[in-house]
Amino acid sequence: MGKQITEILKGTLEGIVLAILLTRPAYGYEITARLREQGFTDIAEGTIYALLVRIEKKGLVDVEKIPSEKGPPRKVYSVNIQGREYLDEFWTTWSFLADRLAQLHEGAE
Amino acid sequence: MDITELTSKVIGDMGNKRRWRDYKARTKRLPDSYRTAVEAFERYLMHLGPGGGPAIFEDLIDLFEQSAADSTPIRAVVGEDPVEFIEAFARNYEEDSWKNRERKRLADTIGRAAEDQATGS
Repeated sequence: MGKQITEILKGTLEGIVLAILLTRPAYGYEITARLREQGFTDIAEGTIYALLVRIEKKGLVDVEKIPSEKGPPRKVYSVNIQGREYLDEFWTTWSFLADRLAQLHEGAE
Repeated sequence: MDITELTSKVIGDMGNKRRWRDYKARTKRLPDSYRTAVEAFERYLMHLGPGGGPAIFEDLIDLFEQSAADSTPIRAVVGEDPVEFIEAFARNYEEDSWKNRERKRLADTIGRAAEDQATGS
C-alpha cells in the first residue's frame, strides 16, 4: 500500500474521523490511536490534528476543552447536527463510489 | 476610515502583537527538538503560508506542546513528509488570506468574462 493509500484516504478522512467521533467523543491522540488499531498505521498525528481544525472551522463538531494532567488542555471533539448531516451525505457518496468502482473492477477482469 | 474602524484596527493589531509574543514565549518553553520543529514550520509559514493572523501559529504550538507533554516522537506528529503536513495545516487558514482574495478575484473575473461571452456583448 504505502503512498497510494495516503492519496486515496485524503478525500475520505473527514468522513472516517466523523464516523469515529460519532461512536463517542474523543481528542486528537485517541482518534489517531483508534485509526492505527484499525490498520491505518501510516497516519501522522498532525494530519488528524489539521483535519480536526478543519472540521471545527466548518462547524461539523463541537469542542470542549478538558484540563489534562500534563501539557495544555485537550480539545475533545463531538459530532453535532451539522456533522451528522455531513456524515449521512458522506456515506451516500461513498456507497455510490464503491459501487461504481466495484463495477469497473469486475469489467476489467 | 471612521474612528470606530480605526480603533478596532489599532486594538486588533495590538491584540495580534500580544498573541504573537505569547506564541513566541510558548515556543521557547518547548524541549529543544520540538522547538526546532516549530521554528522550522514558522519559517516556512512566514515565507509560503496563507497569511492572516496569529491563529495558525497558536494552533501549531497547541499541537507541539501536547506532543511534547505526551513525548510523541516528532516523526509521529508530522509524518514522513513535513511539507505535506504543513500545507494541509495551512489550507485551514486561507479564508482570511491574500491568497484567497486573489482566488476570489480570479473567479469573479472569469465569471464576468464567461457571462459577457454568453450574452454576446
